[in-house]
Amino acid sequence: MTFEEMIGSSGEWLRGTGPEAEIVISSRVRLARNIRGFRFITKMDTAERAACEELVQRQILDAKVAQPLLYVPLHKADPMDRKVLVERHLISKEHEDAQHQRGVAIGANEAVAVMVNEEDHIRLQVLQSGFQLQEAWRICTRIDDALEQRLDYAFSPQLGYLTACPTNVGTGLRVSVMLHLPALVLTRHIEKVFQAVAKINLAVRGLYGEGTEASGHFYQISNQVSLGRSEEEIVKNVEHVIPTIVRYEHNARQTLLAKDRKRLEDRVWRAYGMLKYAQLLPSDEAMMLLSALRMGVHLGLLKDVSLRTVNELFILIQPAHLQKLTGRALEPMERDVKRAEFVRSKLNPQP
Amino acid sequence: MGMKCEVENCDNEATVHLTEIREGKKHETHLCERCAAEKGLPGKAHFTISDLLAGIASQAQAQAQKTRKGGKEPVCPVCSTTLSQFQSSGRFGCPDCYTAFKDDVLGLVEKIHDASQHVGKVPRRVSTDVSLQKDIRQLQLDLKRAVKREDYEKAAALRDQIRQLDERLAAGEEQAPSAAPEDKDAGAAGHGKKKAEGGEKKGGAQPVTEP
Repeated sequence: MTFEEMIGSSGEWLRGTGPEAEIVISSRVRLARNIRGFRFITKMDTAERAACEELVQRQILDAKVAQPLLYVPLHKADPMDRKVLVERHLISKEHEDAQHQRGVAIGANEAVAVMVNEEDHIRLQVLQSGFQLQEAWRICTRIDDALEQRLDYAFSPQLGYLTACPTNVGTGLRVSVMLHLPALVLTRHIEKVFQAVAKINLAVRGLYGEGTEASGHFYQISNQVSLGRSEEEIVKNVEHVIPTIVRYEHNARQTLLAKDRKRLEDRVWRAYGMLKYAQLLPSDEAMMLLSALRMGVHLGLLKDVSLRTVNELFILIQPAHLQKLTGRALEPMERDVKRAEFVRSKLNPQP
Repeated sequence: MGMKCEVENCDNEATVHLTEIREGKKHETHLCERCAAEKGLPGKAHFTISDLLAGIASQAQAQAQKTRKGGKEPVCPVCSTTLSQFQSSGRFGCPDCYTAFKDDVLGLVEKIHDASQHVGKVPRRVSTDVSLQKDIRQLQLDLKRAVKREDYEKAAALRDQIRQLDERLAAGEEQAPSAAPEDKDAGAAGHGKKKAEGGEKKGGAQPVTEP
């Protein structure tokens, strides 16, 4: 698998087919691991970083954590390619911005990604489409077992897996679910969800993680505590709240349909019209329009677009993807033109 | 349904509630997130975990400082990270920092996770050691009880068992990390069991002189 081949296809998690896929976009599980005998990234010198990256890379490839597997040495990669990987949720913003020797191993259909030399030596992520936390955890722990046979993890019987930041110590596990909640936003009930979720020690973030606003009405719900509970318990804790939020969103959508059907239909069809014919599409506007379109597709208000197409558009219209598609860097204005062009080509039947 | 934001023409739900005491009188303000931000009041959830962490870390450190004698700042012997460096960045320099800053770290970890003992996966290399330590602790308890009720025969047997497990633990540490952990575990467990049984018989014949 080459980088170009990967970009040409789209991730498994965008299929839009898993359980509860109308509302639950994806389920993600990640483990933080470090190798005994190496310092953490910030304290390493160049030689130690190189040695660590080479060791981990070799073991990931030997363990065949996924087949086929693409390894991208990020320090040598084109800056635009790194941005594309962030937009695809395969590496973090920090991993993109770093300067040192580092990489990422990406499995076929992007369900598995292993960041090497991020904040921790290993950040193993499994991403599944729809509400499939158990399946994501099952794949993740199996890969972790395979790597553990080859690498000596830093571990303490009391504090568990030792990580660069004490917020990850213990299991090193972060479990998150990405939700699309437009109706809860429209009916102004989203704050209640935040409050309820915060009460049980879970965090809410936007589409691109910590500090990003919830563009396109996407919200990620994840655990905060990683110590003192088993991995299964942590997975269950997050899993437990999702059906309730999904039910609230369904109810909110039905309420909008029952009480304000014309206004809702108008919103959806206007969005569709704009997306089909606009000549300039700024990113924020495109995200909001796609959000309305996505809800319309789910409610059956509009039948000629698939959930998968809409899901993919959310990622493919991001700045780096557009520039990769065009083959050069674009000014913001040019981007809005290209974005509109690209969306039109996807939503209008080809002649 | 909750309270409405008190700003004129604003229809949002009030989620920021401020109570002030001015000149001995209570004043309440109820605003939505946006109006609160416009008025320069802090909303919720606008700071990240890392921001919080730095604050908690320095708190935990101040507490540990009080109990520490000499007032010398701890330094990690492996990566030479100082405690104050950790405090300001919220990041450790290496896995050994956890041991070097133990007094400060435990308090901090407990504040973050509301727990201080790992539950969950254990690397296979370590799992034998952990279960051995657990067994040893249990045997030591049994030994104390046996001595208390003056069952010296039993106590002697327990003492031998503990000695053997201690030896295995020490041997395991020297070997780790080695290849093929599976084979090593199986071998050591079988071997240890036989030895322990042998010890019990021998211990039965020997009187214990010192409890």
